[in-house]
Amino acid sequence: MRQVNRKLGYEGRRNLVGWCFIALAVFLIALFYIYPVFNSLALSMTSGKGVVTKFVGFNNIIRLFKDSVFKEALKNTFIYFIFQVPIMLTFAMFIAVLLNSKNLKFRGIFRTAIFLPCVTSLVAYSILFRSIFSADGIVNVLLMDLHIIKQPIAWLIDPFFAKVTVILAITWRWTGYNMIFYLSGLQNIDPSIYEAAKIDGASKFRQFTAITVPLLKPIILFTSIMSTIGTLQLFDEVVNLTGGGASSPTLTATMTLSQYIYDLSFKYVPNFGYAATVSYVIVIIIAILGFIQFKVGGNKNENV
Amino acid sequence: MKKLLSLLLVMCLGITLAVGCGKSSPTSSNEDNNNSTSNEDNQDNNSTSNEDKQKITIWAWDPNFNIAIMNKAKDLYTANNSNVEIDIVDIAKSDLEQKLHTNLASGLTTDLPDIVLIEDYNAQKYLQAYPGSFEPLTNKINYDDFANYKVELMTVDGEMYGVPFDSGASGMYYRKDYLEEAGYTSDDLENITWDEYIAIAQDMYNKTGRKMLSTDPNDGGLMRIMLNTTNQWYFDAEGNVNVADNEAMKEAARIYSEICNADFTKITTGWSEWVGAINTGDVATITTGVWITGSVKAEESQSGLWRVAPTPRLNVEGAVNASNLGGSSWYVLSSSKSKDAAIDFLSKTYDQNTDFYQEILIDKGAVGSYIPSQSGSAYSAQDPFFDNQVVFGSFSQWMQKIPSINYGLYTYEADAAIMKYMFDVYSGKLSIDDALKKAEEQLLIQIQE
Amino acid sequence: MKTFKSTLKYLFLIIASLVSIFPFVWMIIGATNSATDITKGKLSFGGELMNNITRLFEMADIPRAFFNSLKIALITTVLLLLISSAAGYAFEIYRSKARERIYNLLLLTMMIPFAALMIPLYKMFAMNGLSNTHSAIILPTIATAYIIFFFRQTTKAFPKDLMQAARVDGLNEFQIFFYIFIPTMKSSYAAAGIIAFMTSWNNFLWPLIILQSNEQKTMTLVLSSLSSAYFPEFGSIMVAIIIATLPTILVFFLLQRYFVEGMMGSIK
Repeated sequence: MRQVNRKLGYEGRRNLVGWCFIALAVFLIALFYIYPVFNSLALSMTSGKGVVTKFVGFNNIIRLFKDSVFKEALKNTFIYFIFQVPIMLTFAMFIAVLLNSKNLKFRGIFRTAIFLPCVTSLVAYSILFRSIFSADGIVNVLLMDLHIIKQPIAWLIDPFFAKVTVILAITWRWTGYNMIFYLSGLQNIDPSIYEAAKIDGASKFRQFTAITVPLLKPIILFTSIMSTIGTLQLFDEVVNLTGGGASSPTLTATMTLSQYIYDLSFKYVPNFGYAATVSYVIVIIIAILGFIQFKVGGNKNENV
Repeated sequence: MKKLLSLLLVMCLGITLAVGCGKSSPTSSNEDNNNSTSNEDNQDNNSTSNEDKQKITIWAWDPNFNIAIMNKAKDLYTANNSNVEIDIVDIAKSDLEQKLHTNLASGLTTDLPDIVLIEDYNAQKYLQAYPGSFEPLTNKINYDDFANYKVELMTVDGEMYGVPFDSGASGMYYRKDYLEEAGYTSDDLENITWDEYIAIAQDMYNKTGRKMLSTDPNDGGLMRIMLNTTNQWYFDAEGNVNVADNEAMKEAARIYSEICNADFTKITTGWSEWVGAINTGDVATITTGVWITGSVKAEESQSGLWRVAPTPRLNVEGAVNASNLGGSSWYVLSSSKSKDAAIDFLSKTYDQNTDFYQEILIDKGAVGSYIPSQSGSAYSAQDPFFDNQVVFGSFSQWMQKIPSINYGLYTYEADAAIMKYMFDVYSGKLSIDDALKKAEEQLLIQIQE
Repeated sequence: MKTFKSTLKYLFLIIASLVSIFPFVWMIIGATNSATDITKGKLSFGGELMNNITRLFEMADIPRAFFNSLKIALITTVLLLLISSAAGYAFEIYRSKARERIYNLLLLTMMIPFAALMIPLYKMFAMNGLSNTHSAIILPTIATAYIIFFFRQTTKAFPKDLMQAARVDGLNEFQIFFYIFIPTMKSSYAAAGIIAFMTSWNNFLWPLIILQSNEQKTMTLVLSSLSSAYFPEFGSIMVAIIIATLPTILVFFLLQRYFVEGMMGSIK
């Protein structure tokens, strides 16, 4: 009995220390992230112009189902998610494997060059991409010189190509970032495993699927979750690339959910209640995806 | 317990560090104002710290245009009113709108400026979404002296708000040399319809290979110009949606889709490329608001080659060869602590001062909507860049013919809805009638409350 | 066959590097050209560099904006590393059911779109008289779920026997964190530091809302207002972009050595 008590005492102290370490961080996050979300719960039940609002109950949710712009934004968000995330992660993995190969010269230069895009500020890189992909821009000039296209492509406004441009821009900026994670993971793998596989006569591709991918599974999971979050929150890139500025309309073909929230609050006649409703849609999607992630990824954290 | 305390200490240190650093900056930022007020006073932009010193904070967005002009007004006013200090804050237009919304929506007035610049299309939106936030100036400004259509835009329930600033009166700027090459004289371009415009463009392109205009297919600006040559808008006078059965709207959509698909049109993306197309000599015309004059003249080598004709009109009943795009006005916030000074400042410069308008016209090419100023000499001057045409005089005449329209609150919602379906019209997927029907359906959902 | 394969490998890497670097080259070339040349897509050096620089410094108070950004980014980085690493460390070392739940909740906050937080957050700061201060920018960014997550992962790689040894030596739990954990994990700190500095330096939306006066503006805000002028001076903007990008590149190059190493710890 005494032993149990002492044990509890020790555990209790550890417990207290644990709370001390996390207290400030938890307090700040609760204050700046969690509280505002609950704060806007009441807001999502209202609708109106700016500060002239009335209580509408669940009307905003009914409105969601009738709102074609909302549906379009939801669709676009999923298109980015379905195409951009796999393309980027495949590229990142491929480059990481190449960079990790033995006897590679200029490894440092390649790695630095490919990582470099993610140090640029968003505002800066969207200004650069706008000028590179403009109708007279260097991309069109090059493609026309090479006789790949006859007419300049409207990269920033054509409903199809604008999506392509957004995907290209995000891929450009974030591939190197993800590549670093894979590279770090690859360097953790013991080379003798590959040697053994080689002796067994496994091809390079077989080695990749049978050794690399399973060993990197946690990293692949991590990068895909982070990229998914990034996609669901996608805002700055789309606004700055195809937003068209303050006086021309948001291009519906590239609009994302976050951008729609922004437009509802700041570009159109402000309807903060409805905007809050749309933002809850993102929170719900994320909760669902988070649930799936826990199911698929296994609940490692619980193995105390 | 000791450990707990020491950790708390570290955390507190962190917080004070953060807060302390932030606090210290407003002090350092005001170094250059040599009045020795205390810290707290410096932090509060609106306070009248010393009894005789009034501070007016102004938000505006273009350093080359409205900010430069505001600076001129400031110099003019402070020369006679040394007790007023004017601070003009430069914020990008979309950023300014967002800040204004955030501030007004939060219900807190501490960070609001005293005067803010608002684009005409947005005026009703702010006035109606935030009632009581803007100061009515009905008896303080001589609204009779301003172009009627501008005053209309800032009127809610008979009260007038704001001081009209620049006009967006539009005209068709054209390259005389290009059109002459194709056999067209200046007379051929006076008071034409958009159909005639397209015919000339096609003919010129066939003869000389030159493009007529540049446009951004996602930008509704040119369509709004066409629409504004009539007295029709996306909404009727009562504010009801008027898109699907609006003949002027259908006509504008037809013309615009023809232009976007034509081989005489250069497709551009974004503002700078659109302006660039005239400077590089790629296109023969640009039809837009008078504020573009400065950009047209930026390419000095083209001096003498340009002229301006009235805006082409839509082929519907009652349409005129005059229209408008953009333009903005100054508004005083009700929460302002230096309200009287702010109103006095605006009325002494933008209202009662003809010389001021002459000056900003010459310096910045800004056409005000203050009618008495337009008999001034600057308006009757010939401009060698425009083949000695009396450019601003013409704009001033057109300005008074612009059909007066109440844009209502939802111009940008309507613009977005229509431009969305216009892409299906360009590609032939939808007829104009169907596209406008769909746009109207979407718009109705968008503006429901 | 082998040389062919290796040529292909180099070719791919060279193309990927060129694509990655091209916008940087474009920005440097742009800084030496006039606005019209840039819109025309001119890809060679021009003679406008000095003009562009002079014009930029006339148009905006670049030194002040630069200093503001630097100050904010440095303070944010130090506080973020301290507060969030302590939390990440504790979530891993001192596990309990309750803290696990909190941790999972924190991870969810990573996913809230900022647009949804903006207005309540602004209200909170403005009501406490903190708008238009740099601390308003710093405070919401010094505890983030992402960095806590990062440090929890790296802590998994932290040798636990070091802790036991330190306890035997009589160090208390806080001393272990400050004197053992931080020095041991310095490459993780470097990696997180790079991320923290870049995020803070590039932060745009929140500073835009909370800052009101010209004097308080950061580099990104200046950049944004320069580029959205009616007639943007692209040459000068390119110069501004270079100035705005230099610090992050510099931080990356200085700490690059630790970066991959630090990331390695985070993904074990």
